[in-house]
Amino acid sequence: MSTQVPVALEQHVAETVTALARTLYPHDGLSDEVYARVAAKLDEAAQADAEQARTISEGVAGLDAGAPFLQRSADERLAAAREIEGSPLFELVRSTAVVEVYSDPATWRLLGYEGPSFAQGGYLHRGFNDLDWLPDPEES
Amino acid sequence: MPRFDFDQDNVVVVVGSGAGGGTLATDLCKAGVRTVLLEAGAHHRPEDFIDDEWPSFGQLAWLDDRTTSGSWRVARDFPNLPAWTCKTVGGTSVHWAGCCPRFKDWEFRVRSEHGPIDGTSVLDWPIALADLEPYYDKAEDRMGVTRTNGIPGPAANNNFKVMGNGAKRAGYKDVSTGRMAFNTVPRDGRPATIQDGFNFQGDKQQAHWSTLTAEIPKAEATGNLDLRPNSHAFRIAHNGGGKVTGVHYFDADGNEQVQKARAVCVAGNAIETARLLLLSDSPQHPDGLANSSGQVGRNYMRHLTGSVYAEFEQPVRMYRGETMAGIVTDESHNNPDRGFVGGYYMQLLALGVPFLAAFLDPGAWGPEFAAKMDAYERTAGMWLVGEDMPQADNRVTLNREVTDQHGLAVPNVHFDDHANDVAMREHAYTAGESVYEAVDAVRTHRVTPYPSTHNLGTCRMSADPSEGVVDAFGRAHDVPNLFISDGSVMTTGAAANPTLTIVALAIRQAEHIVGEMKAGSL
Repeated sequence: MSTQVPVALEQHVAETVTALARTLYPHDGLSDEVYARVAAKLDEAAQADAEQARTISEGVAGLDAGAPFLQRSADERLAAAREIEGSPLFELVRSTAVVEVYSDPATWRLLGYEGPSFAQGGYLHRGFNDLDWLPDPEES
Repeated sequence: MPRFDFDQDNVVVVVGSGAGGGTLATDLCKAGVRTVLLEAGAHHRPEDFIDDEWPSFGQLAWLDDRTTSGSWRVARDFPNLPAWTCKTVGGTSVHWAGCCPRFKDWEFRVRSEHGPIDGTSVLDWPIALADLEPYYDKAEDRMGVTRTNGIPGPAANNNFKVMGNGAKRAGYKDVSTGRMAFNTVPRDGRPATIQDGFNFQGDKQQAHWSTLTAEIPKAEATGNLDLRPNSHAFRIAHNGGGKVTGVHYFDADGNEQVQKARAVCVAGNAIETARLLLLSDSPQHPDGLANSSGQVGRNYMRHLTGSVYAEFEQPVRMYRGETMAGIVTDESHNNPDRGFVGGYYMQLLALGVPFLAAFLDPGAWGPEFAAKMDAYERTAGMWLVGEDMPQADNRVTLNREVTDQHGLAVPNVHFDDHANDVAMREHAYTAGESVYEAVDAVRTHRVTPYPSTHNLGTCRMSADPSEGVVDAFGRAHDVPNLFISDGSVMTTGAAANPTLTIVALAIRQAEHIVGEMKAGSL
């Protein structure tokens, strides 16, 4: 889990949000720390706005109806996520997760994205044209 | 830098410092005209730019509240972000990748070329290509456009190797790394590109032309420029004699100021330009300033757009190097046998992981979406840009139900695709897929248009004052000392990326304004 301990969200709520974020954008190679960024963001939102805090807590309670989300299998979590698609909690977690998960340098490393290069002199001498499985295209 | 008095009424006020306004202001200053340049955004420096997509978006994008309506998917996915433009000194030129096709001769006379088209408001421009050619020449030299003026074309990067080979194998003939407004060799005091990408995040290296780095410093050097960042224009003052007299704006502290002017030139990008005229209504101009035609805000165009991404077995690493240095022009001609009029270009495009996740299929999630992202390193991309049809009801209006941080009515942007746009996009998607399939793509993805980066037509040029807002020089039909100096003036949008044409029109307009001043008629 993240070293940032959420203060506005209960631990169970934060863990469930983290697990839901993984269900929405599942990459086996990513640790829970990446997905916990989503819980940290929602915690910030909950601290700033009691209404948001309620939306999140109630949303998680709804997700836990039947059986706790955290105790379900990956397939069951996917089915549960589909059931709440479009709900306020779902939209909040999805819109936050798509930004947070794919902004994490750990995700970039996993997906093979090297990001900024200006400080290293760009990609001019670091492979901007190193693709070798096609010939150099003839230009008009 | 001088600071002209608020009451100094011999200055020209230019609203907006992007490709149109920044270029115009620079030419006015060079000609000795005292110029106040109002820019709503802050004065960021290249070293402050952030090579990380979301933080950069927070720094540079125009994020003031806006609303949307209509059947375009942007209204559903990004209801408060119809357009991706910039609020910073240099305007949207700071996040411009640099593609510089010229308009074609028939693209200035679309009504004559195609005849009337149901459901459109197509019109011929009041100028022809021949009128603009000398100014295209000047703009290309000034901006250092590759493959003009003896400047070498860009080197082929990885993403281009895929698109270029695919296009040739698919039978396309005119395929190159394009005419681009970034340096491939040192020029105009700016270095050659180090292929550091992040073209949409401002260019830390300054190899790219922008008004921030290549024009405004020259205007400052004349001693005639009074650049005022963090200055949000909200009303153009005018008198009973039918002329504009100055501009009201909120300064950095939110205080209202009024700068008097002998002439006002508006270049706020098509949404804000139309909004500013609509906010400047009065008993003399009840429907908004310079709007006796009722055309202010109408005929909003945003280009075809759409993207195709393709996954391959081997790595591509599309993000390395210049973002858009590649073009296929074969589909840019007018061939109605394809089932639509007008043409389109295929252009190179790369997004980083954060933005590809946001825009690949907005709202999508789950294992299938994650699998597409897992292929990021093996993905190549292209953008599809073509002419969309002007329609009277595609328009910018004031939404009086919603106000911004200044208490001003926000602009609403309404857009519906025309059947011609839909047919062209379908053709372009298929063409893009054929390019990638020719080099053995594992699979391809059709990507919906992003929030608009090309915003055009909301104050269009017309020969007949009843059909448009400005004349052939961008001068308002209704108000002799009011000019529009951005892509709003485009009568039709052509297939080409608009910046080169905006700059050429601004150079031409500056020459006209200076001539009119010397003749005593402005």
